[in-house]
Amino acid sequence: MKKKRMWTLQFSTAAIVLIPAAVGINFLGKLFASVLKLPLWVDAIGTVLASMLAGPIVGAIVGIVNNIVYGFTTDPVSFVYAITQAAIGIAAGIMAYKGWISNVGKAIVLGLVVGFIAAIVSTPLNIIFWEGTTSNVWGDALFAIMLAKDMPLWLASFADSIVVDVPDKVVTVLLSFLIFKGLPKNVKLMYDNSGEIERL
Amino acid sequence: MNNMTLYVQRDSPVHRVDPLTKLLFVFISIASTYLVSDHLVVLGILLFTFAILLTGKVFKSILPVIGVSFLLIASIIIVQGFFHPDRTTVLFEVGPFSIYKEGFSIAFLITLRVVNMVSAFGVLILTTKPDDLVEALLQKGLSPRFGYVLLSVLQIIPQMVALTGKITDAQRARGMETEGGLWMRFKSFLPLLGPVVLNSLTETRERSIALEIRGFNRKGKRTFLNETEDYRYGIPLRIALVAFFITVIVWRVIS
Repeated sequence: MKKKRMWTLQFSTAAIVLIPAAVGINFLGKLFASVLKLPLWVDAIGTVLASMLAGPIVGAIVGIVNNIVYGFTTDPVSFVYAITQAAIGIAAGIMAYKGWISNVGKAIVLGLVVGFIAAIVSTPLNIIFWEGTTSNVWGDALFAIMLAKDMPLWLASFADSIVVDVPDKVVTVLLSFLIFKGLPKNVKLMYDNSGEIERL
Repeated sequence: MNNMTLYVQRDSPVHRVDPLTKLLFVFISIASTYLVSDHLVVLGILLFTFAILLTGKVFKSILPVIGVSFLLIASIIIVQGFFHPDRTTVLFEVGPFSIYKEGFSIAFLITLRVVNMVSAFGVLILTTKPDDLVEALLQKGLSPRFGYVLLSVLQIIPQMVALTGKITDAQRARGMETEGGLWMRFKSFLPLLGPVVLNSLTETRERSIALEIRGFNRKGKRTFLNETEDYRYGIPLRIALVAFFITVIVWRVIS
């Protein structure tokens, strides 16, 4: 079996159809999190899952489309974070391709990395658009404390994002990992880009 | 089925402007408020955006959308008002804390910007059908495959939400707890999400076969089913918008 290519713009139809489904999964993750009143967003399961299944580029597209659609239907502020979601998709896609989803331990590391990358990308956006807050109560409380102690704005804002993003993304990646492991093999192979296993 | 969008069906001049001009307006309106840091100018832009919403007869519909951002605005006012780095002048005191003038001024400016951002998007979102926007983008050369992705999301999500209702009931019937302590609720997350994910992934297979049969991957030029609607005021509006934006940039560079 030829190893599938990571960077390709030649998407199979299955990979394209995966994008809306993954956006739907993101949406449902968020919905369930709010129905079950979990203190996390868990709004990137579809993005991470799509990256695991079909690579970083599809993951990034899922992230961007997700926030565009969410902006269109619920909250226009989410347009701002489209870049963060794209970064999540790319990071998860590359690391999944390099084998960081072979066991739970590695999946946790993947979650930490994705969380840090999300925080790194979000911080400049937060500073540019709203001088550093994230509108998450715990993160903003920390942000306020750090500002009160006269720490620099960017550091406080970064800490704000880290506190929010890292736990959220670790949980998101772990859930995606568990779902990914539970998928039947024919579903996993469907999005393979090599074009030799099954060409629809 | 199409309850996903915020589109409001009205007959107004704003509805008759073509989607791409509105898209340009959104971009320029938001960029201008971030380029200029003068309260009055930003307030002026915001009032102008409100005026467009009023002309489009959709002003009432923007209020709940602004409400979604309430938490963001509240946190900006509280955090910046009390703790902004440049705090020197005390405006007034609340118990042991004092609100500072500098922080409050910045918080007010950001609030104006956020409300303008939401309202400017509102002009596009509330007065444009997503189908029309995507079709306009397709005519400008967006890949039809990508256009499909954007539009099908809006159809798939309500289907998936309907499916989750069934799955939640089924899992409850099998004895799953969806209420209780945090850990209890957390444990029920996977049994709820798992079946929906699996179901929608298997569906993608059928959907891609259906698409392939209908020539989804065909190369060559596509034609459009719907005739282009006759939009109005497109060119003069675009010229006005671009002229305004250039003025803002020049003003920013000079001052």
